[in-house]
Amino acid sequence: MQIVVCVKHVPDVTNVQVDPKTGTLVREGVRSILNPFCEYALDQAVHIAENMSGVEIIALTMGPPQAGDALMRCLELGADRGILVTDRKFAGADTWATAYTLAEVIRRIVPGFKLILTGKQAIDGDTAQVGPEIAEILNLPQITYATAVTLSSSMRQVRVRQEVERGYEVLECNLPALVTVSRGDMVRRAPSLESLLAGRKKPIEVVKASDLGLPESSLGLQGSYTQVVKIFPPATRQASRLVSGLEAGDAAREIYDYLTEQHFLDKGDN
Amino acid sequence: MPELVPVTHEIHAKPALFAEFQQIRRVEGFENIRSEYPGYLSDESKLASRSADLLFFPKNEAELSTLIREMARQKVPMTFAGARTGLVGGSVPARGAVVSLECFDQVTSIGYDEPYAEWRVVAQASVSLKALGSMLNARHVPSLERTAEPDQKAQYERFKADKVAYFYPPDPTETSATLGGSVVTNASGARTYRYGPTRNWVRSLRVFLANGEYLDVPRGRYFADAQGNFLVHLTSGKVIELTIPDYSLPRTKCTAGFFTEPGMDLIDLFIGSEGVLGVVTQVEVALMREESKLSMVQFVDSDDEAVKLTSRLRQERNLTLDFLEFYSANALSLLRKVQQEAPSSVGMPFLPAEKVSAIFFEMSYDPHGDHQPLELLEKLITECGADPARSWVAYEPRELDRFKVFRHLLPETVNAIIAERKKNIPGLYKLGTDLAVPDEYLADLWHLYQTTCDGLGLEWVAFGHIGNNHIHVNILPRTIEEQQAGLAAYETFARQAVAWSGSVSAEHGIGKIKQKFLRLMYSEDQMAQMKHVKDALDPDGLFNPGDIFPDEVA
Repeated sequence: MQIVVCVKHVPDVTNVQVDPKTGTLVREGVRSILNPFCEYALDQAVHIAENMSGVEIIALTMGPPQAGDALMRCLELGADRGILVTDRKFAGADTWATAYTLAEVIRRIVPGFKLILTGKQAIDGDTAQVGPEIAEILNLPQITYATAVTLSSSMRQVRVRQEVERGYEVLECNLPALVTVSRGDMVRRAPSLESLLAGRKKPIEVVKASDLGLPESSLGLQGSYTQVVKIFPPATRQASRLVSGLEAGDAAREIYDYLTEQHFLDKGDN
Repeated sequence: MPELVPVTHEIHAKPALFAEFQQIRRVEGFENIRSEYPGYLSDESKLASRSADLLFFPKNEAELSTLIREMARQKVPMTFAGARTGLVGGSVPARGAVVSLECFDQVTSIGYDEPYAEWRVVAQASVSLKALGSMLNARHVPSLERTAEPDQKAQYERFKADKVAYFYPPDPTETSATLGGSVVTNASGARTYRYGPTRNWVRSLRVFLANGEYLDVPRGRYFADAQGNFLVHLTSGKVIELTIPDYSLPRTKCTAGFFTEPGMDLIDLFIGSEGVLGVVTQVEVALMREESKLSMVQFVDSDDEAVKLTSRLRQERNLTLDFLEFYSANALSLLRKVQQEAPSSVGMPFLPAEKVSAIFFEMSYDPHGDHQPLELLEKLITECGADPARSWVAYEPRELDRFKVFRHLLPETVNAIIAERKKNIPGLYKLGTDLAVPDEYLADLWHLYQTTCDGLGLEWVAFGHIGNNHIHVNILPRTIEEQQAGLAAYETFARQAVAWSGSVSAEHGIGKIKQKFLRLMYSEDQMAQMKHVKDALDPDGLFNPGDIFPDEVA
């Protein structure tokens, strides 16, 4: 049984500093990592493989050649093989063009897949769209925000513990299906020396645009419905104003005066 | 060709600028200090001062110099404090004044030293190791962004443009420690295994003397003469003669007593002197080119297996490890318990369920390069009877950070347990050893620790710098009786470490709480030689009273 885990190589934004002068991110020295949510998705796949026999995990990513590093981590952590979709023609893809390409790769290279796992979102773009879009393109049932994924012993259904606002729900659906994975209470795995060395001997297949036979108009920037126009940091909020050290009545008066001054209240409201 | 400067054993002090004594920021009166600024009366040793009447915050060298002169005139002793992260009470005032150097917090310059082909940072004493690390990482030094000095500006711009990343190798566990504090204590950390202690990275110091004048001491300029003497010329014309002690230091990490060796460099006398000879206000340290790393925790069946693997790893010439650390089986049992109660608090995969010990090490590693070192490592681990599948490996920076947090978790856990027990028995405290011995005695020392602690039925864990034969044994007493038994055991360990040519203090220093052990290591005559150096530079005993030497007044 084949499980495809779609992953993304992202800048490690948890460690990024902001240039105090320009307010922009200091990209100097920022390294890229396997998107943490993708790693949780892989972790669910590895967990399934540890508990069932005959499971093959295929890690799939699209990106520049260095995105192969994200696949390498997947192979070290238990994926069986990797697929790196890389070509200048894929550059500038938005979530739709990315999902379209990944779906086509899965259809062609892993046609017999039973389950697709993705992270719930990537920590760089935070769109949470690619997973659901792949499910739509491949016409699959999808469950999002999973914190636990298990298969029935017949391998025909998937059971998912889904994070919801006030707790969790347990959902089941027939396979094939797509599940996007959240963190839950998972702690990241660490490869062993043995699995690290083994990972380096596992195959990574490279897929170019020409291997897919898709029209160029559906790939990369050309195939994108959206474009990034501008990236900017959110406006900083003004410092709050604290009224303290006054009797309650005086404090209320001071707050009232301030709100009036700022036109939140009309003079006549009292 | 670098300019050749003749070496000499004579150094001339320089006068500092004057400031208005009354302008120096201060808090007066013990009760005021205790109620408003209690942190200045203690440090990480948890020793607490019962008497300090003045707290000063000099903001520059002129104020510091003026303060020293005024206190000297009034014969008020001064205890100098940095981040107060020391473990032996060095910055806890015995009496008199506490002088916080926290305003000395600027990086002064970054420059490339051509003869030594290395980048160097000049910084004031209170720049923290953490702040220095962040500035180097981001290549952004706020004080140098503002500098108007053309040479400094040019060097800083050159540093920023350098494509290579640099770091400062000494890594004491507590990163809030200051550069100055780490220099006067010759601080160590895990990476001392490869890079040596702080001493190896110090290139120059500015030291204020007890008369308020200062010495600029670069490395490689002032050496003891054939009789072991230095001459310090004060501006008044007075000459201080310093005779260095004639004992030999152990072949281990050592922060017990003043550094000495025939023909020694004067800078080494001040490094590790715990601030009893002078006040360090500025340091120049060297940086090193950063390499990508691989960290690994290898689980083994027993503590003895860990000792065996350590010896094997140390012998392997084709592997260069940055650090080589140890977790005893009882240490991992303690962490396993914490992990079972709250898995996310440990932040690591589950520890093996069965009883295991571990060796934790780091080495240079290029994930895109040659895998031969890893294959060699795998072979070596297998030959020692351990299983490379029972290990954790990390090489991405975020993963390395996670492993680093894990490394610090054990001492924090021990401290939390002791704090909890103290609520019921206030007299209890953790007993943490800091002994190191030469390589050939590692197994013997470990055997002594095990048989003694187990024989006494004590609760204990062991961890730390096994690569330097410097394992920290932490005894967690449950009763006052166990506390006494633990103390007696500690003394036995210290005596034996000395008998095996080791050190009673490998990295924590002596301060106020390990003086008894210092006397196990040095004879009365050798102690007198140290005291002679102290008296020559600080005749009235004004600097850090009660540190290294007993406080004669108290």
